[in-house]
Amino acid sequence: MSLAKWTVGLMAGMSMLAFAAQANAGEVRVTVAEYSAKTGPYFEEVKKEFEAKNPGITIKFEVVPWDVLLQKLTTDITAGTNADLSIIGTRWLIDFVQQGVAEPLDSYITPDFKGRFIDTFLSPSIMEGKTYGLPIAASARALYYNKELFEKAGIAKPPATWTELQDDARKIKALGSGAFGFGLQGKEIETDVYYYYAMWSQGTEILNKDGTSGLGTPGALEAAKLYKSMIDEGLTEPGVTSNNREDVQNLFKQGKVGMMITAPFLSNQIKDEAPKLKYGVAAIPAGPTGARGTYGVTDSIIMFKNSKNKDEAWKLLDFLFTTEQRAKFTQGEGFLPVNKEEAKMDYYVNNADLAAFTALLPDARFAPVIPGWEEIAQITSDAMQKIYLGGDPEAGLKDAAAKANAVLKK
Amino acid sequence: MQNRFLPYLLTLPSLFLAAVVIFWPVWDLIQISTHDVNRFGQLREFSGLANFASLAADPDFVAALWRTGVWTVLVVGGALLLSVPVAMILNTDFYGRGLARVIIMLPWAVSLTMTAVVWRWALSGESGMLNSALLGLGLIDHNIQWLASAETAFPMQVLIGILVTVPFTTTIFLGGLSSIPDDLYEAAALEGATPLQQFREITFPLLKPFINIAIVLNTIYVFNSFPIIWVMTQGGPANSTDILVTHLYKLAFRIGKLGEASAVSLVMFAILLVFTMIYVRLAMREQRA
Repeated sequence: MSLAKWTVGLMAGMSMLAFAAQANAGEVRVTVAEYSAKTGPYFEEVKKEFEAKNPGITIKFEVVPWDVLLQKLTTDITAGTNADLSIIGTRWLIDFVQQGVAEPLDSYITPDFKGRFIDTFLSPSIMEGKTYGLPIAASARALYYNKELFEKAGIAKPPATWTELQDDARKIKALGSGAFGFGLQGKEIETDVYYYYAMWSQGTEILNKDGTSGLGTPGALEAAKLYKSMIDEGLTEPGVTSNNREDVQNLFKQGKVGMMITAPFLSNQIKDEAPKLKYGVAAIPAGPTGARGTYGVTDSIIMFKNSKNKDEAWKLLDFLFTTEQRAKFTQGEGFLPVNKEEAKMDYYVNNADLAAFTALLPDARFAPVIPGWEEIAQITSDAMQKIYLGGDPEAGLKDAAAKANAVLKK
Repeated sequence: MQNRFLPYLLTLPSLFLAAVVIFWPVWDLIQISTHDVNRFGQLREFSGLANFASLAADPDFVAALWRTGVWTVLVVGGALLLSVPVAMILNTDFYGRGLARVIIMLPWAVSLTMTAVVWRWALSGESGMLNSALLGLGLIDHNIQWLASAETAFPMQVLIGILVTVPFTTTIFLGGLSSIPDDLYEAAALEGATPLQQFREITFPLLKPFINIAIVLNTIYVFNSFPIIWVMTQGGPANSTDILVTHLYKLAFRIGKLGEASAVSLVMFAILLVFTMIYVRLAMREQRA
């Protein structure tokens, strides 16, 4: 075949591609994480309302289970077939920013728009002075306790310190009802975070001031010893390393666990699945010096740099972050309000559970914004699992700290 | 002259297809594994064998490599040992054979992931079916935390692996058994051969090519099998039930080390290729002899 023929063929192909792109003008594709069964229907509603108000723009939501979201994004970006907008874990954002995948939103953000957000939740999405994402979901963790078990065991109020928590767990165990004192998560996502609660109360941070891993500090060791002693004493559920967050939550819903630390969405689940359960929400216990920490999490919605329909995509973002839309989404999923006006609504003000969470926000730690964070989280989870299975805390933490420091040095 | 070229010409379409679906991805993997690559698969500078070197230095990879060997041998071996008698029974004529065949094949009809999810529930420590059954039968006096440590989790995963491999293997053997003519057995019985002798002298030798096929195909499937281990333990606790595929998945999609993950993938490809070549050669030579 002659060169001319090739060229003609190529041109024809390219014009077809251009045609295809044109046909897609005004279409905004959005990858969203499936937080619960309510996520899909909510975004269906959004599509209907938004398209009615903005003729000419079509929205396509791709609802993806949270577990495979990062995998999907990785493969989509590699292949160049990513959507225009996507929800991501804010802790992944640094990778997206460093690799030039995320578009800064500052040119779209007006002071009025920025004013809608509670700063605590917007700030994790700001990097090097630029806003790369908007917090679509925010959450923190607090201590859930079973009021009925507490009453039976003669405990007047939720534990304020870890020492009190241990005592309370002993009392619940002594009831002999088969209920476990403290639900300890030892498997899958956030296994590391469950350990940080104890570690933060020792005044130890994930990263030391000099940027090395906090796992090698005496505070980290104390925290690991605390959990291990509770396992050895039988104050936790048996088989800690076979229970992920949902498993421990299920035990709590069944009234089999006296206390556990988890996110606000457990309240929604209890309301639906175990409405008779009497429970309370309290602050995460403090350590000997009064230090305490909860885990703050935000998920951000980002715009991709290679998006062809940025203006349309921004219109959708503007719509998603109106007070009305925010309230619908947040209340359905059981998250915390990220929007100032929304936070003033009766639903939040008069909700004792949520009040416990928002009261903890000053103590909230967000995942550190460093490349390789996922690897350090994995290293920490692995180390904890070894310790929970009977490994030596000192050796385990030393090894984990060395591995984490190697990642941090890169 | 034309006759000599014809076979090549006829295999050309399938060769082309193989090139697209096999050689191209492998080439891509070689590219990624020999470069410094970011977590979105964009290649940066050439890094030679650095990714392979860091794998060799990673104790988790080495442990996963050995465990994959153990996993494959146990599951494939177990499935073969179980499938031969099952196939022989299903090959005899008895009342309700159709139903029995359906029951044996059923695990095959259910998706592997779904099977694994159901087993994960069944093996749950506090509310699992297995524990309550064993408690009810009086075989244990307290709940066993099946998935809490590798000592109990891995053997259970192997057993489930065997369970889901049996239907396919049995199907192959049933095909093999039905190809053995009945008169061989009749003649042997006439000569006074015992059932054991019949099995050793007739059934087993004639079934051998089918056993070889089952070994090769099952090894490839089981070696690459992801859902059972991933759904039940995600290779945990502390990577103690990881096989190469689950290790690869974590490297690629959790931690974002696509270079090392591609290297694992190539190692797996090489192991299977070498195994298959050696095995097929040995099996062929035996048949010719």
